[in-house]
Amino acid sequence: MKQTKMTLSQTTMNLDFVKRVEHLSGSSVRRCFQCGKCSAGCPMRSFMEHPPNRIVRLLQLGQFERVLAGRSIWYCASCETCTTRCPNKVDLAAIMDALRKLSWDADGPSKESYVQLANRLFIENIRSYGRQYEMRLAAVFNMKSGQFLKDFMLGPKLLTKGKLKMFHRKNRNLPEIEKIFSRIEELRSKDRD
Amino acid sequence: MKNKLSYSYYPGCSLHASAREYDESTRGLFKALRIGLVEVPDWLCCGATPAHNVDELLSLSLCAKNLELASGVEGDLAVACAACFSRLKTTQHTLAANDDKRQQVAYALDGPLAIGKSVKHLLEILAKDLGLEQLSAAVQKPLSGLKVACYYGCLLTRPPDVPQLDCTEAPTIMERVIAAAGAETVTWSHRLECCGANFTLSRPGVVLKLSGDILASAKRAGADCLMVACPLCHGNLDIRQQEIEAASGERYAMPVFYMTQLLALAAGVAPGKLGFDSMITNPVPLLKEKHLL
Repeated sequence: MKQTKMTLSQTTMNLDFVKRVEHLSGSSVRRCFQCGKCSAGCPMRSFMEHPPNRIVRLLQLGQFERVLAGRSIWYCASCETCTTRCPNKVDLAAIMDALRKLSWDADGPSKESYVQLANRLFIENIRSYGRQYEMRLAAVFNMKSGQFLKDFMLGPKLLTKGKLKMFHRKNRNLPEIEKIFSRIEELRSKDRD
Repeated sequence: MKNKLSYSYYPGCSLHASAREYDESTRGLFKALRIGLVEVPDWLCCGATPAHNVDELLSLSLCAKNLELASGVEGDLAVACAACFSRLKTTQHTLAANDDKRQQVAYALDGPLAIGKSVKHLLEILAKDLGLEQLSAAVQKPLSGLKVACYYGCLLTRPPDVPQLDCTEAPTIMERVIAAAGAETVTWSHRLECCGANFTLSRPGVVLKLSGDILASAKRAGADCLMVACPLCHGNLDIRQQEIEAASGERYAMPVFYMTQLLALAAGVAPGKLGFDSMITNPVPLLKEKHLL
């Protein structure tokens, strides 16, 4: 971490944020005693600027801006190794979900745009089609991320192997899906008021 | 002998496209074992990782809707994909424990919840419901001499409270199932490590590193092939294998089978029905060498 020095005071610590994370995740943040087991087993730690145990420590110190601004939370693979191995029953995978949701809802300032774009397109696909169509997902991702030639050689190979579906039948539960999405939006806007 | 087992079936999105061989071999295997399998009509995407990553309520609601749809088909719900399995079980687990979330999901679905369907991964059905003895008895072509590295990945066993398929840190269910079909299993280091999952779309470099480590570990252990039970793991280890070889300078040429492909082959299903032709790393030379084709 570049900035190792931080000044802690009532004005620089946001402990309300910790409470929101604890509420959303259903897990204690405070119970962590920094044994570091989560980071030792994390397959993604080398891609993160803050390894998992440091994320929890930063939260405990009320430094949520540092956590949300970086790419670490978006580089969590949800493999559940941390949650499985925590000796204090801190559900770190659920805490990561909560952090991503808070960042996502606030249209947060994360540096990691590709993962968020992939998530957004995946969820839009569900709303539009009810199911995931991998070819469409990959094509739109490449277009929107400006990487037109990404996996260029893979597409034809997968097509000849019958692994990409060109056409799909309309799902009869699409109106149900639309209702679920709009009622969740309704709940969220009530939450904000 | 007529088997009375019968299940409703949730294939999940991948099994209708990139993992079509998992779907085909599952159907072939169940037919050979005389286990009934009826697909839930018009099932929906479970939301997978992207939904729970940013919107837990959406993830829970999509899974609750699928469980409701599944309740219209008889039999416990058979799930092939490790990620769908994990999301459906997580939903049941979370909603059983949290009144607030249950109320929110009931609001999103606009009606009372019907999420009580028992959700089972294929491994569980084979090892527990059918039983290893019966599975063994159905073998016509034992997989003798085939050294298999069983790869669990993340979601078949983690977190401890949710899948409850087997021991979290030292599972043996995959090894037991494939040993029942006569294969040899290897002891190796990376069977529970993450393959890089859905970073395959957004950050493929992650997959090249993590899946590369897995292939290297399986090779070190002397495995002929990998066996998986998840379409995302399969995509990363098989579809990206040549890219991994190019990036690491290692040569693997290691076929990655779905467990149902190997089991169905052993149970005497015609190889032409098992989708070997849709695998990127060609398994035919290995299967011929072992006199399985």
